[in-house]
Amino acid sequence: MHIRKYDVDYGRRALLQKAALGAGAGVLAPLWPLIASGADTSKAYPDENMSVEMYTKGKVKTGDYVTAANVDAVKNLLDPITYKQVKEMGRKIKIVPTVTDASLLYPMGFLEASLKNKGKAKFDATGNIVEAASGKPWIGGLPFADAKDANEAIANLTLSWGRHDYCQYAIRQWDIAPDGNQAYQYDFVWAELQAQARVDGTVFQGKDDLLRLQSVWFTAPQDTAGSSFLSTWYYDQRKFPDLYGYLPAFRRVRQFPTNQRFEPLLPGITWFLSDAWAAGDPMLTWGNYKIVGRQPMLGAVSQNWHGSSKNWELPVHGGPKGQTFFDTNFSMCPECIVLEAEPTGYPRAPVGKKRVWIDVRNQQFVAYITFDRRGEMWKSFEPGWSRYQDGSAIVKDAKGNSDWSWTYVLSHDIQANRMSRIMHTESTSGGYKSQLSTNGVDVYNKYLTNQAIQRLGTA
Amino acid sequence: MESFRFRLAALVMRHRGLTAMIFVLITAFFAVGIRNVELKTIFSDLLPKDDPFVQVFKDHPNFGNPLTFTLMIKHKNGDIYNTETLSKVWQLTRDIDLAPGVDHDQILSIATEKARYAEATPYGIDMRPLMEDHVPSTPAEIAEFRQRVDKSPNARTFLISGDETATLINATFIEQRLDYGEAFKYVHGLVAKYKDADHDVYMAGQPALTGWVYAYESQMFWIFAATLGALILALALYMRNVVGIVTPIVTSLVAAIWGFGFVGWLKSPIEPLLMIVPLLLVARSFSHCVQFTERYYEVYSHVGDRVKAAEITMGVMMAPSVLGIFTDIVGIFLIAIAPIPAMERFALFCGFWAIWLIPTGVVLISLLLATLPAPRNVDRLIGKGQTGGLHHGFQSLLRNIAKLSYGRTARFTTVIVAVLAVVAVYESLQIRIGNPVEGSNLLWYDSEYNEAVREINAHFPGVNTLEIVLEAKNPNDPARVARQADTVMTMMRLQSIMEQGANPPRATLSFADYLMEGNRLFAGGNPKWLPLDPDNAATNAAATAVTVGSSSKAFSHVIDFDQENSTVSLWYKDNKQGTVDAALKAASAAVQEVGIDHDKFTVRLGTGTIALQQAMNEVVERFHWVIIGLLNLVILAGCSLAYRSLVAGLILLIPVNLANFILNAAMHLIGIGLDINSLMVAAIGVGVGIDYGIYLLSRICEEYHAQDKDWGRAITASLTTTGKAIMFTATIMFIGILPWYFLSGLKFMADMGLLLVLTMLINMVLALVVLPLLVWLVKPRFVERKDLLVGEGVDLSQFTAEGQHDNSVPGHLAGAMK
Repeated sequence: MHIRKYDVDYGRRALLQKAALGAGAGVLAPLWPLIASGADTSKAYPDENMSVEMYTKGKVKTGDYVTAANVDAVKNLLDPITYKQVKEMGRKIKIVPTVTDASLLYPMGFLEASLKNKGKAKFDATGNIVEAASGKPWIGGLPFADAKDANEAIANLTLSWGRHDYCQYAIRQWDIAPDGNQAYQYDFVWAELQAQARVDGTVFQGKDDLLRLQSVWFTAPQDTAGSSFLSTWYYDQRKFPDLYGYLPAFRRVRQFPTNQRFEPLLPGITWFLSDAWAAGDPMLTWGNYKIVGRQPMLGAVSQNWHGSSKNWELPVHGGPKGQTFFDTNFSMCPECIVLEAEPTGYPRAPVGKKRVWIDVRNQQFVAYITFDRRGEMWKSFEPGWSRYQDGSAIVKDAKGNSDWSWTYVLSHDIQANRMSRIMHTESTSGGYKSQLSTNGVDVYNKYLTNQAIQRLGTA
Repeated sequence: MESFRFRLAALVMRHRGLTAMIFVLITAFFAVGIRNVELKTIFSDLLPKDDPFVQVFKDHPNFGNPLTFTLMIKHKNGDIYNTETLSKVWQLTRDIDLAPGVDHDQILSIATEKARYAEATPYGIDMRPLMEDHVPSTPAEIAEFRQRVDKSPNARTFLISGDETATLINATFIEQRLDYGEAFKYVHGLVAKYKDADHDVYMAGQPALTGWVYAYESQMFWIFAATLGALILALALYMRNVVGIVTPIVTSLVAAIWGFGFVGWLKSPIEPLLMIVPLLLVARSFSHCVQFTERYYEVYSHVGDRVKAAEITMGVMMAPSVLGIFTDIVGIFLIAIAPIPAMERFALFCGFWAIWLIPTGVVLISLLLATLPAPRNVDRLIGKGQTGGLHHGFQSLLRNIAKLSYGRTARFTTVIVAVLAVVAVYESLQIRIGNPVEGSNLLWYDSEYNEAVREINAHFPGVNTLEIVLEAKNPNDPARVARQADTVMTMMRLQSIMEQGANPPRATLSFADYLMEGNRLFAGGNPKWLPLDPDNAATNAAATAVTVGSSSKAFSHVIDFDQENSTVSLWYKDNKQGTVDAALKAASAAVQEVGIDHDKFTVRLGTGTIALQQAMNEVVERFHWVIIGLLNLVILAGCSLAYRSLVAGLILLIPVNLANFILNAAMHLIGIGLDINSLMVAAIGVGVGIDYGIYLLSRICEEYHAQDKDWGRAITASLTTTGKAIMFTATIMFIGILPWYFLSGLKFMADMGLLLVLTMLINMVLALVVLPLLVWLVKPRFVERKDLLVGEGVDLSQFTAEGQHDNSVPGHLAGAMK
């Protein structure tokens, strides 16, 4: 508990000032020493940044639901599309306790790498991130744990998406039409293998020109099952990834234009490759990065994993047919970087800019929206994060800690009013299971080569 | 004097304050409703809702690109393969992405990534945009670009013209975000921006048409104001006194407030395209007031008391006024028989407005006349003493016209009218249905929009489409019906049958075309792989091949978002009736051949401009005579009752029907067909046109007694008094409506104005010539009766202390006094 020597607006003013000065995280005290020592992060912020009750002067409390009736009290803590969903579309959000132990916001291995390598990264002359001492590609964890400018913040998001060296997500997606009906439903697997910037500090099979390999293969419905994509990311963030698709019926690989980043993978899907992880494109293919503010936010950063439910699926509600939104838990994020960037490397991009709210405690995004070139809001890509522990249900890492990952995404095209509800499930059609490590399997040859995706199509 | 109408008149005059207060309160109530009034063109509401083609259109509104702006850039002196033209295409494509409400996923031009070409490589299929991330600027780049276009059959057919001088940019908008006025203004601004000495830019598509209509509708308010000004000026010139000018204005204004307020409270949008009819009602209200006021002048001149004169006038004029307005109401309400929602709403709006003319045109006007200062020029206006030049001129002319209808001259007139009638009926029966134009009949031939449509039709498959819809029985079928083999094979069969028929369309397109192309590419590129195997595995594979990496919106012209419903589009060179008939006949036969009912879908013919044009024609054909027939029956019943004579009803109906035949004959001779405009004009023409006859016939009845049962003198006296008011009325209508023909950018409105003016003029002439002629020929017995419901006679001696002191009392009044 802090002495309330500050008025209730102190936190907001202090964050504005910090944003202008380019200072690091924390208001009352620097944040990262607290994280490094495993201390309570609430020491770094005034009460109104840590408590939604204090922020709203009691109008919204932990345990309450944010609904159309009270959302105005937290309007400044939500991105504008989430606000609109609650205010106009029947969405409700439960408020859960603020996380004060920052380690709960990471996979433990990634946090350890971030702390171990803190202060060792820099940008080279090309704008890429290198280990300062060697000039070689980054060695793992957050390169800029206490990001002070926009380039550092986007580097944290881009260099390691899932914060594991290998992730395999079994995903079920429902695409909801404006009338609230389900228009499409897909099952697919998303796999990402870090070639560099790995938690284990190695370079995967000597692939020192690559950052990651990433593939998607669809397993349902039947007519799209076997369709798959392989994206090869270069470490050099100025280069576009290679993108190949495979159509099992023709036994043909199709090469997509490398700069085709603003199209859905399949019909009915609202999100583009460019939207993934709020950093779906190599960071140097975008430009005009800037931090436009720092502010507290409400974000789905904890208690969002339903491991005790069937296939980990979240209940749904809201919208015209009661199935547009997941039931989600939000909590106070005391300080978020508000970052903006423009797709300067894409002369035909329909997107004008993106705005990303990044929680400084784990440098992960809690809200992301894109604007069209007229400056009107277009899409949101809202993630839910969680430690994978739900009562007795638990997913552990190699060291026995509960693991951490994303749990859901709500991708909402607010202009066409189409919603993609994306769920990180336990398993999906075809028998694929989610996993946050290779588990000793040769995942590269199994899932992440052109031959592999062709085999996936015939399986 | 014991009749209800006179008792009511006396009651109103005794309680003038209370009656006025009731009017104020009702007017205030309706005035509040005006805030809800919405002027809005709902284009789909202009279509007959019970037509099967319209039902297909409404069930599948996304087919036929209803939300797409189409821009064509044309190089005037060469082909498009040069940096300047391609730069325009690039920049225009980027600029249209900034349009308010545009769907960023549905912009297509040769400069977008969606326009692709494909190559089979040893490693697979390489699909790339036709244009790289920049405009080709060197000869080598332009040559490369041209080669890529050659590898993209769809781009060659639908994006670049055969002569390579023109290219299209299509931008589809999101319905719930589309503000037609705003989008039109923005896109039209781009047209102006990108035109130059070497390039024309044309804009078409349904949103462009809507935008043009909205733009012209805003112009409508100025024309409305100008026309009303002209009406008031005409009134001032005719009346030259305060009462005569203020009374019609206040009366008409109050009726208008009630009319608008009523639909405001009902929250029923008003169709601006038909706003000429309310103006007709204003003119109608003005002319009615003139008739009423002139009679008031006559009475006032005799009794010398404003209140008493108003009371008498109200009693006298109530029945003919109500009967005249009754026919208007019938004419307007009967328009609603045609099952066109916009017309139903409009009949409600205008029909009730016409009903409001009864309390305002009978009671309110009497209150005003009793209250406003007495005019000083009464004697001049009623022809006593020195008459003004205008009035004198009218009377001289009418005296000569009257001579045509009685005595020896009547024989010649009868022959001429009979010949005219035979010719008119014969010619009018030859009239064709429909007025097909290339583009939209709402706009003039040389309008920017219709010119754009002609140009686009000249370079591309164009806009005259017939859509045959394959409708999924289960709209949420998990198998995605549009991708299934039976559906795809049916599409291909329909295309094949139509293409090999006697009058083939100039182009056909369906989802099957994309699937075949996908099949060819993914099977290695050889054209021999174009045909699809007739099984679900093959069609699904091809569908996945073409839709992977893109949104189904990219195919929204041939399948819906959910890939359940699909359409076969057939393009025709024009929409002339012969083409439409042949297309529909062939399509109907093709649908029968492939079968309407399939396991998972139903084949429905159809939608698109060809089918919807036919729907409009059919509704005119179905209802033109029905409406006229019913109108005749209702009016015959009403008038026969009022005059207590079936002969009276027939005498009144013959001129108005003859007027209708003459109008249709004239239209046929100058090459205009029957359309929805003429349907409305016919109904209104009969309803409003018969007023002239009612006023004149009632006067003849009175003058017959006043002129000692001399038919010739009775006709002459009627024409020089009531006939004068009829001529003025017709002039008022003429002034009120004709300017629309010259001022409106909307051909639809102008046509309606012209037809209304013509029908009113013809009705006037026939009322002044044919009706008295019929009376002369028939010499009906009802004229001799003095107890007619619509009789205008009154014994004014009861109201004057001197009794019959005035020898200059007009004939009918003097007669009534005897």
